[in-house]
Amino acid sequence: MSEVDPCDWCEEAIQPYLDRDLNETDVEKVKQHLAACSWCEKRFKFESGLRRLVRQAVVEPMDPALKAKLSALRLEL
Amino acid sequence: MSETSSEEAGRIARGARDRVHFEEEALALADQVYRVARGVSRSKEEAEDLMQETYARAFRSWESFTPGTNLRAWLLRILTNLNIDRGRRAQRTPDSQPLEEGDYFLYNRLDPTNESDEERILERLSQDHVAEALAAVPHDFRDVLVLVDIGEFSYAEAAQILDIPIGTVMSRLHRGRRILKQQLAELAVEAG
Repeated sequence: MSEVDPCDWCEEAIQPYLDRDLNETDVEKVKQHLAACSWCEKRFKFESGLRRLVRQAVVEPMDPALKAKLSALRLEL
Repeated sequence: MSETSSEEAGRIARGARDRVHFEEEALALADQVYRVARGVSRSKEEAEDLMQETYARAFRSWESFTPGTNLRAWLLRILTNLNIDRGRRAQRTPDSQPLEEGDYFLYNRLDPTNESDEERILERLSQDHVAEALAAVPHDFRDVLVLVDIGEFSYAEAAQILDIPIGTVMSRLHRGRRILKQQLAELAVEAG
């Protein structure tokens, strides 16, 4: 059986890494690989930039009027 | 007052206290729940309707919530279920779409030899672009994406909220991100 290419492995691992769903041992492995591989580091930066964009897409706060409407939905005592 | 009826009154008073407590906790989470609602909805109006339906249902069925468990996840389970029902009414989401590109950088469709391009592409995109791209991702994939990226839930929590296997969470996430990248690439090219 041939060995897994470290960049292929890293490509798979950066997804759960960025999603906070990778075990500690693998997190260390990813960090070491990223420090040594500029291609994967670029991939990592890109993927984390993408997540930042998604998070920032939904920044508008809830309308105060909606908050009042939700409160009004409470059951009567 | 007989003993049983005073016990009964005490039980009712405790129940009312528990309910008020539940309602207050649920309302305190509204801002966080709204972020997910906005992420899975196509418009602000749709998100607001979804919030009202969610809270109306939550308040009605508060007794089925187990105290000490994750209330935010419980609320979002109601919300995503309502949203799935709506999605089914409104449109049939295609289960599979031909997807060949968009795996790596957005600029797979642009010039892959231009080393510094990908950062500029992300900069070129506005909040509106991202919201538009997100709205174009079919429901099933978008729900998972929003729960993980915006709700910051783990794969296991997202699986529980949506009542799907964890493997399905991961594959939908993968596919959802691919579609999102394709949409963003198209918008970035247009924004030139």
